Amino acid sequence: MDYDAIVADLLTFIAADAPGDAAFDRLALQLFAYQFAHNQPFAKFARTRGRTPRTVKSWADIPAVPINAFKTLDLTCCAPADAVAVFMTSGTTLGGLRGKSYHPTLAVYDASMRRNFAERFMAGHARMDMGILFPTTAMMPNSSLAHYLNLAVRDFGTPGSGHLIGEAGIDFDRLTADLTRAETTGRPYALLGASFSLVHALDELQRRGFAVRLPEGSRILDTGGFKGQSRELELDEFYDALSQTFGVPRSQCINMYGMTELSTQFYDNGNAVCPSVKSGPHWIRTRVVNPLTGVAVPKGETGVLAHTDLAHFNIVTTILTEDAGIETDDGFLLLGRAAGAEAQGCSMAVDEFLRAAGAA
Amino acid sequence: MVERAGYLPGLAADALHWRAETCGAVEVLLPVLGGEQVTAIAQHVRDQAQARLRSQPVGRIVDAIDRAVARLLDRRDPYRQRMDDLLPRVTGYNREMVRLGLTGYLKTFRKPELQRFLAEDFANPAILDDFQPLAKGGFGRAFGPRVLAHIWAGNVPGLPLWSLVAGLLVKAGNIGKAPSAEPLFAGWFAQVLAEVEPDLAECLAVVWWRGGDVAPEAALIQQADLVLGYGSNESLGAIQSRMPVAKRFLAYGHKVSFAMVSAAALDAAKASATARLAAYDVARYDQQGCYAPHMLFAERGGAVPPQRFAQFLAHELAAFERKFPRRPLTMAEASGIAAWRHAEEMTPGGEVFGDPHGAWTVSYQPEDSAFRPSGLNRTIRVVAVDRLADVPGIVAPFKALLQTVGIAAPPRDLFRLAAALGHVGVTRVAALGDMTAPEAGWHHDGRFNLLDLVEITEIDGRAEAAADRLASYVD
Repeated sequence: MDYDAIVADLLTFIAADAPGDAAFDRLALQLFAYQFAHNQPFAKFARTRGRTPRTVKSWADIPAVPINAFKTLDLTCCAPADAVAVFMTSGTTLGGLRGKSYHPTLAVYDASMRRNFAERFMAGHARMDMGILFPTTAMMPNSSLAHYLNLAVRDFGTPGSGHLIGEAGIDFDRLTADLTRAETTGRPYALLGASFSLVHALDELQRRGFAVRLPEGSRILDTGGFKGQSRELELDEFYDALSQTFGVPRSQCINMYGMTELSTQFYDNGNAVCPSVKSGPHWIRTRVVNPLTGVAVPKGETGVLAHTDLAHFNIVTTILTEDAGIETDDGFLLLGRAAGAEAQGCSMAVDEFLRAAGAA
Repeated sequence: MVERAGYLPGLAADALHWRAETCGAVEVLLPVLGGEQVTAIAQHVRDQAQARLRSQPVGRIVDAIDRAVARLLDRRDPYRQRMDDLLPRVTGYNREMVRLGLTGYLKTFRKPELQRFLAEDFANPAILDDFQPLAKGGFGRAFGPRVLAHIWAGNVPGLPLWSLVAGLLVKAGNIGKAPSAEPLFAGWFAQVLAEVEPDLAECLAVVWWRGGDVAPEAALIQQADLVLGYGSNESLGAIQSRMPVAKRFLAYGHKVSFAMVSAAALDAAKASATARLAAYDVARYDQQGCYAPHMLFAERGGAVPPQRFAQFLAHELAAFERKFPRRPLTMAEASGIAAWRHAEEMTPGGEVFGDPHGAWTVSYQPEDSAFRPSGLNRTIRVVAVDRLADVPGIVAPFKALLQTVGIAAPPRDLFRLAAALGHVGVTRVAALGDMTAPEAGWHHDGRFNLLDLVEITEIDGRAEAAADRLASYVD
């Protein structure tokens, strides 16, 4: 299959209603063959696992590429120069190397985002008043999250919606004005942003003694965790604080779980109870595996998440994350990062060695 | 019966608050101590050591430790039985590996080994008991700290014994903070010592608090004359930041070690035995100790090429897995190994031999000889080099992190390589197979175990003559 046919098929698949297991499998195998043919580092990786288009019979056989590989290999079917967007990870580990995902078109990414976001976050609204607690794409051109939030406000925000972070940081005057207006007019408001930006906002609003009761139907979306950029909060503490400061019940506080190495996001149905169950749309599937063997762990046991995202067609569909999780009936529980373990004794684990060697 | 951790003389156990924690597969009661309680224990230990330990001849202390160790070497002793029973369940290490490891380790603390320990640091150990003539003239006597604080870390069974014994030999009152990963051993040893030598019973304590709990740690630092700390650079840095400027803090940070195998050890007759020794160093305590190898440099030119040797090593690790299976890993540890293994697989020229269940992994790298840590838990990188003499240059950038090198090489090479390795920061060269069992009296991280703890009070050579002039019998 060629590029145009792949993109067309994907757009059709994403738009379809419940296309079923067989259709998912067929498209996943087509994409595997396409990537095997056009993405040389991936083909080599797959061969070392003994996986080729001849031996891979189902989507679950596709070898999962560890996310660290995105830092050292150019995993792409198109020439890097032909990419219209390159999304990069923040580069906080592995000596500052950043994982890269090349996109020759954003049509598939955007279609994936839009359908999923409409169903999981918008709750029947076509557009809402929105405030974005994250920098714009102009400020962060390589951030997939900036692009995602840009799409959200562009395609789902009412006129007057916009970013609440500028070069000078959070614009608290605008934030409080937005919140107060929502409270007065009774129009539901959606506040979206990085989890750590929401913590910064909570801290500052608390300092100002500012709290609102946003009207019914208002929602909050947080994503990405705290990443050492703000205070680390327990999830219960975080959602309680959001609920108290903004007057949005925890059941309307949605967490989005996404990665630079994917083109599709996962959502929960609110955080009345933590950890919440996350799930994705019909074009992404998740297995919970033993990271050492790649074999799925029995349902209910902790493993590491491996995602197969058909929308990430130019890079690789299947990635092995460093996120621990447990499979449930309707998705998975996300338990946090399953890496960066320190040695139990006096030896050094990789992360600590890199830090120490960097400091030496 | 639920096991209680710690050893707290001077505090009534009933008056304490105990917290139940699950350590590995064992429910343990840990004492919850506040700053005031730590201060009270420290003062008690200081006073008791002053009254009952500091005047004892060091020979008597050696005898007492020897008797305590003899009890723990006896498999019928109830404390030893608790160690054999519970330590594997707390740490997850294989039962037989723990039992053999403990016996081998405790043997390095019997009387002859303790005497070697003393002789290593003091030409005349009597300097701990009384003023002894000094080479420069005059007299000197060594005094240990009144209160020596130990902040231990890690789960390798028995590790706290090193510094605790050193503290006792220099007659310090000792307070150790037990590691959360294995909080039991230190307290047990203290109890046995108290039973065999009641005079010492009140001179040491084993405490605990949750990592990051500042108040008890600050109290301990405040009361101690000298602090020994073990752990990561992060945790040592946190302790350092709380140390008053004038107080000494001896930090033992995490280290890395590696192995070197010369072409001479890679002939057809010796290669397999060499691989077995290397595998033993990798398998013992699953590379959690700082003396365990992360990498192995194999010299080209032997009858068995490095790649073949890597396969031998894989074969031996498989054999160890059958005999002493690796402890169960956390998901974070397993994920760490997976990430390491993927990185090795993606290194150009690399070849990875691994157990299908991930119980061990050997990565063979003919082209990339860079020094990198392993994924731990029985994973090792074998690197082919043209000459072992090139290795010191490869590891030199990591000078501050290096500790043990296990070498399989003929005598001439052993000394030549040791000199070059010493220049780049290696502090211990051992035979392959002995890396994880340092001998009695070894210089931990290149330091003096006892000398670092004492201060010498000296009598100036001229003071004696001056005193003579004041004698009642002066003519």
